[in-house]
Amino acid sequence: MSSEPRDNNTLPDLRYIRELAKVFRQYDLDEIEIENGEQRVLLRRSDFPAASASAASGAGRPVVEYQVPAAPAPAPAPSPIVAGGAAAPAPASAGTSDAFITSPFVGTFYRSSSPESPSFVEVGTTVQRGQTLCIVEAMKLFNELEAEFPCVIEAVLLDNAQPVEYGSKLFRVRKL
Amino acid sequence: MTVEIRKVLIANRGEIALRVIRACRELGLKTVAVYSTADAHSLHVRFADEAVCIGPGQAAQSYLNIKHIIAAAELTGADAVHPGYGFLAERAEFAEIVQKCGMTFIGPDPIHMQVMGDKVRARVTMAAAGVPVLPGTGVLSGAVEALAAAERIGLPVILKASAGGGGRGMKIIRDMRALPSTLETAQLEAFKAFGCGDMYLERYVQSPRHVEVQIVADKHGDAVHLLERECSVQRRHQKVIEEAPCSVLSDELRADMCATAVKAAKAIGYHSLGTFEFLLDGDHFYFMEMNTRVQVEHCVTEMITGIDLVQEQIRLATGEPLAHLNREHKPRGHAIECRINAEDPVTFAPRPGTISAVHFPGGFGVRVDSHVYTGYTVSPHYDSMVGKLIVHAPDRPRAIQRMRRALGECVIEGIPTNLPLHRWLLKQPAFVSGKYDTHFLEANLDPEAIRAEVDAEQA
Repeated sequence: MSSEPRDNNTLPDLRYIRELAKVFRQYDLDEIEIENGEQRVLLRRSDFPAASASAASGAGRPVVEYQVPAAPAPAPAPSPIVAGGAAAPAPASAGTSDAFITSPFVGTFYRSSSPESPSFVEVGTTVQRGQTLCIVEAMKLFNELEAEFPCVIEAVLLDNAQPVEYGSKLFRVRKL
Repeated sequence: MTVEIRKVLIANRGEIALRVIRACRELGLKTVAVYSTADAHSLHVRFADEAVCIGPGQAAQSYLNIKHIIAAAELTGADAVHPGYGFLAERAEFAEIVQKCGMTFIGPDPIHMQVMGDKVRARVTMAAAGVPVLPGTGVLSGAVEALAAAERIGLPVILKASAGGGGRGMKIIRDMRALPSTLETAQLEAFKAFGCGDMYLERYVQSPRHVEVQIVADKHGDAVHLLERECSVQRRHQKVIEEAPCSVLSDELRADMCATAVKAAKAIGYHSLGTFEFLLDGDHFYFMEMNTRVQVEHCVTEMITGIDLVQEQIRLATGEPLAHLNREHKPRGHAIECRINAEDPVTFAPRPGTISAVHFPGGFGVRVDSHVYTGYTVSPHYDSMVGKLIVHAPDRPRAIQRMRRALGECVIEGIPTNLPLHRWLLKQPAFVSGKYDTHFLEANLDPEAIRAEVDAEQA
């Protein structure tokens, strides 16, 4: 009576999902993607890019957070459990998913280099990789935040001179 | 002249962050918590007046990230920083930056941390102040000097890293032939662990007790002791159970030890809370190291003296004098503390995970300092302590009975903890009689009996 319906291929194996959830927790992952057949495994953790290098340049690498496009499925936000095998594979067409650019610093958010200067970016601005998006100032140190990938700014989520903490969402963008 | 403190940023996490927040609340001070993304659901974040996320789970990028912590203090307008224990608590550089930014560091001066953080310098300084130290050396130049020193002191000897402390970076030498090669590996290990390969050598005490003296000192040169703590129940040099007072000290020895600690604190112009750790070998005691911060086990001292050490630490940081503390303190009853860790009770391997149910004991004379709750996830990023169970009673036998009773009420489900180890320990004749040394736990560890406690728990 304890055996799970393994013969039913439309249902994912619960034990498999439990194991996945363990891995998820163990490595603090934000995303696991597994595709069967030709095998495609993607494990993503948002704090990793921030950890690598970039110290020398002085500019922080923004942490990128992906949002699953609004799907008819129940909202995935609070529960990190991965969608089962039965779910229809989402078409992985690039550019459809919203991404957020979050702050890798604690400090004060500035949209321009000085009160007189124009903002680095506006809604609708197409940004190249490495282009400055904003400044986060802490203890008189002006940390420029650069784009890690080409994208279009869809929304600026904070007013100028607002305090930001690590992980605060600054911009909603569309990846190009 | 005193400075005013209105808002304290706590540069720490877990139970000690909560402990400081509680002290501040009672003093009417505002609090700022800092936290990593792994601690977003931690109690210290909820209990503080404000909270700032300072980085990802890895401590190096969050709780050790001085830049982000200072930025959080600036953003929130904090005028003082409490470092807790661990993380940045004994980093002179951090205390210095806090002061340069115009804030009050709730702890001693950076210079005290520098002197005591360098174990060779601490030894020399203490010896000069008339504090007994074990026969030993300065920084060893090489195997020739080490061999000569070992010859003079007599085997066994112990090699220690100058940048070590807290039981890390030590090697016992029982055979002269092993000394040169052990020194070489120890130097390499110390360099890897602390960024400094300096080693020194001391006589090795075979069967010591770890007894430490709590001192409090103000910025005007006054210092008093708040009695001693017995911390000999250890595993891998980590304390498991602490008691106050020490049950084997004669009144004369206690007076001598405590007076020595006060003399040592005055000799270096120390202020704030501090602990002098001594090795007790029969009737002789020797300086081991000084901790320039609040200790995990400060609670047992609080129970027998009735003094809130964290509140006094904050008060002294403003420059106020010792005042009501400046007197002779007598132990009132006996206190015992069990450190509850999320770990295998026999192998001591950390076991992070989610707590599915928790029930803490209560009743007369029982205190629990913990940051966990049902549904809390013990993160693999940080140390495995989930709380401290402290009891206070009129005497040691009654404190032991009370601790057994409290351990019996304590339930933590979902993750393994060392509660079975504590239940087993509180029954051991050596513990009950008070006749134990620092090797007691590791030498007598009985895996089967401890596993039986686990089974009894689940029955």
